[in-house]
Amino acid sequence: MKVIEKLLKFSWVVWVVVIALTLGALFEIKANVSLETNLDKYMPENNSAFVYSSQAEDLFGIKDGIIVAIENPASIYNERTLQKVKDLTKEFQKMDEIERTDVTSLYTADNIIGSDMGLEVKPFYVKVPKTAGKMMSLEHAVQSNDMINGRIVSLDGKSTIIIARIKKGVFNDDFYNRILETVQKYEGPEKIYVAGRPIVEGTLARLMPRDMKVMAPLVIFIIMIALLVILRSTKAMILNLAVVLLSTIWTFGLMALVHIPVYSVSTMIPVMLIAIGVAYGIHLFNHLYIFMKNNPGADKKSAVLNMIRYMWKPVMMAAVTTAVGFTSLLTSEVYPVKYFGVFTSFGVLSAFVLSMVLIPASLMITGLPRRRKPAAEDLDLENKEQYREKNTISYIFTRKILSHKVLVITTAAVLIAGSIFGLTRVRVDSSFLANFKEDSTIRVTDKFINEHFAGTSSFNVILEAKEDEAFKNPETLKLVSTIQEKLSVLPVVGDTFSLTDFIRRMNMVMNENKEEFNSIPESRDMIAQYLLLYEMSGDPETLNGVIDYDYRTMNLTVQLKSDDSKSMREVVSIIDGYRDRLDEYGINVRYAGSGYKALVFSELILKGQISSLGLSLLIVILLLTIMFKDVRLGLIGSIPVLFTALINFGAMGLLNIPLGPTTALISSIAVGIGIDYAIHFIENYREYSLIDNNKLHVSQLAMSHSGRAILFNAVVVISGFLVFLFSIFPPNRQLGALVSLNMFTSFAGTLTIMFMLLYMTNIYFKKGDKK
Amino acid sequence: MRKLKKITLAIFLLTCAAVLGSAQSITGLKVMENVYNRPTGPEITSEMTMTLTNSRGSTRERTIRQYLKKFGEDEKKIMFFTSPADVKNTSFMDWSYGDSSKDDDMWIYLPALKKVKRISSENKSDYFMGSDFTYDDLGDRKPEQDSHKIIDEEAINGKDCYVIESIPKDKNSMYSKTVTWVVKDSWVGAKKEFYDEDGDLLKTLTIHSVDKVNGYWVILDMEMENVQKNHTTRLQFKDVQIGKSISDNFFTERQMKRGVR
Repeated sequence: MKVIEKLLKFSWVVWVVVIALTLGALFEIKANVSLETNLDKYMPENNSAFVYSSQAEDLFGIKDGIIVAIENPASIYNERTLQKVKDLTKEFQKMDEIERTDVTSLYTADNIIGSDMGLEVKPFYVKVPKTAGKMMSLEHAVQSNDMINGRIVSLDGKSTIIIARIKKGVFNDDFYNRILETVQKYEGPEKIYVAGRPIVEGTLARLMPRDMKVMAPLVIFIIMIALLVILRSTKAMILNLAVVLLSTIWTFGLMALVHIPVYSVSTMIPVMLIAIGVAYGIHLFNHLYIFMKNNPGADKKSAVLNMIRYMWKPVMMAAVTTAVGFTSLLTSEVYPVKYFGVFTSFGVLSAFVLSMVLIPASLMITGLPRRRKPAAEDLDLENKEQYREKNTISYIFTRKILSHKVLVITTAAVLIAGSIFGLTRVRVDSSFLANFKEDSTIRVTDKFINEHFAGTSSFNVILEAKEDEAFKNPETLKLVSTIQEKLSVLPVVGDTFSLTDFIRRMNMVMNENKEEFNSIPESRDMIAQYLLLYEMSGDPETLNGVIDYDYRTMNLTVQLKSDDSKSMREVVSIIDGYRDRLDEYGINVRYAGSGYKALVFSELILKGQISSLGLSLLIVILLLTIMFKDVRLGLIGSIPVLFTALINFGAMGLLNIPLGPTTALISSIAVGIGIDYAIHFIENYREYSLIDNNKLHVSQLAMSHSGRAILFNAVVVISGFLVFLFSIFPPNRQLGALVSLNMFTSFAGTLTIMFMLLYMTNIYFKKGDKK
Repeated sequence: MRKLKKITLAIFLLTCAAVLGSAQSITGLKVMENVYNRPTGPEITSEMTMTLTNSRGSTRERTIRQYLKKFGEDEKKIMFFTSPADVKNTSFMDWSYGDSSKDDDMWIYLPALKKVKRISSENKSDYFMGSDFTYDDLGDRKPEQDSHKIIDEEAINGKDCYVIESIPKDKNSMYSKTVTWVVKDSWVGAKKEFYDEDGDLLKTLTIHSVDKVNGYWVILDMEMENVQKNHTTRLQFKDVQIGKSISDNFFTERQMKRGVR
């Protein structure tokens, strides 16, 4: 504090240093900032689920696929459409990001058919059929091959898909554009649809920042207006905003300096800093105004000194507790979340330093803010007798709360009960598609492909036996086949695909195409011989995708019509039901694929977030106990945090907002804001208890002093974030709603239930002073 | 399936001796014709071990007893799997014809099914038995299908070779070019590189061992490595006999069922 007071003499130096640091940060951001869009980089490297999934992906060449559907409302069986399928297939095969053999279409598919004489393997077409007769026989060939009909060509014969699996880690903006450009050339009169996880991710990666670019300035603009209305001074508004913006710049500058890339969850950092950083300035100016009203003749130096002396402690306590609270995110296994915690802590501390240094220095240089009109409800400490009868909003509010204790407690209890109920309904969802509106192109495309084909999302079940050659055993394969049948019953499962499908097909083909042979043969040798035959006649690469070289590890692919986590969990729960039976054959089950990794990732973030919230709650209780030297205050002070976090998750459950990587982090606001409010209010209450021993008066004073600042802060942030409700992008709408909700519950929780409990404990009042 | 016959052709392509022309003023095309036109034995039997190794170092090994006999321009071949045990006695038969307009006739016998089946396949660029050899690699490719050029002369393992660059005339070929090292006196290949459509090295064929059997050059050990997929196929031949008489009646469905002599 002394340091800050001394700094007042060097206000110009403060300005120069702040400007220099900011320019340095900006320079650093410009030179070194990098965006990380590769989702694999988000995953913890040594998490066993990820490690295993990656190994299985390498083993079976599991890659994310782009799905292009070509629709011809008449029929695909005409020269032009089939030519397009051929040309597009070849274009994909020539792309560097795609291996030739990783493109599957009617043009590349092998037609394995049983004829009277035996076995025939041939492409469906090499040259596009020119005569009606040839076209008809092609159509017939497709319709009589289950491995193609309904999988590559829709059952109604009006659309067909090309699947292009792309190499790992090569997906980028340029490639995304090239795909769309390539595909567009073939549009009309056929309709072309592009789907698949890389496309959804790619679109998301472009839409999110684009939407942010529109929304962020609007949010800041609304916050400026709200600050102006509340603080009634352009200077105060600018300084308040400067604290927020500069702390954000410093934070990202540091991030660039230490070469930590910007992850998608990093967009939450400015959100936190706006919500928290705005508070410090508001509390300072609120105090300053009260001082100015009570000391009309005071010069700027004594006003600023008073502000520092009174506000130094609560602002510092709030900032330090918040910063420590955020470092609890270091316990998360997910790097972007760890970084989010660390850098938000840094940002909060920067906002604190800037508030305590830049605001006083600027006031020293430019003079005290001149408000257009002093507020009538500003606390008048001189007129001590007056406030007893005063009927300002804060006074009435205080009395109402205290006279309706039962109502307050009941309401809080109902809200908590409701939240606990909501909590049980929170669903973790790593779906990318859920981020788009129902009528968006990407959803429409996805729907089209899901209706006509097996599904746009896939999930890999990896079965691992203890011994080599295990998957030549007919019993084992029959069990897998049974599991596949069970899975196919699920509405969300479009198709399942594994080694058993090859064996069944071969068995049927080698037995004159009789349907009763569409089954796993009884003899192990027969299976081995079919496999050999398939390897020799078909494309061996196809087999490499379903079974490893030692017939010990098997890949069962499940095609899903949705990428949401619920669908994946349904699959997992069916398979888990077979764990015991699989175990009898010495087979262990694991999962793989990017959809599964996203699911694990979301769950990790959630787990990390919950445990870090728990940890920060303990830290908060501990720090508050130390700061206020009373464990009761530690517990009371943690109420807003607990209340806010609980209602946040409860509301997510009740409003069906899925818990994903970013929405999970919004609950961190509870820590940042809840602590702030609690500390300011308790500290203010304590200060007034020193000058008055009437509990109600002290409450009313605290309510009209720091309570008012808390209200201002909530109003400013809420009005800013409500702008997000108008975003075209569902995740940003959820962000706006949840941030606003959290601000409101922190505010309400502090000034109602926490205040009431504080009042009821009689802390700071000797016995007998009760009124 | 027709790939089965190519394996033999490959052996011929790369093995047989030729006593053609002096090395002076020879053209690339001539070198390749010499390789292609080497006389081969009329009847060959051998035991082939095929070892596939994938990028993880896992291997699949199969041994095959094979019999081949020329009938003028036509050729008949029969192959019996002798290991692994679960495919033992599985056999393939392939009749190919000098008349290139006529497709091969092929049969397969699966002992577990106890039935001989006719099979056919039209995919020429497919890989042979899941190996790194395509049908084309195994020698069915005629010299006139490519433009050849001698680009260098170089010694491989102490043997002087012509280095021939061959560019397919058909633009749709799966290779942009191949480079072959041909040993000057024997017209046996020593090494071959295959470049993919983008001009990048795709595969390298290395001949590890060549020997003379009954006056004919025979490759006993060769290895194809797909450098892009890090996958290799090694073909090793044992007990190669050329000129030992095989009965015409040997190449029948009945023999396929009966198994190895």
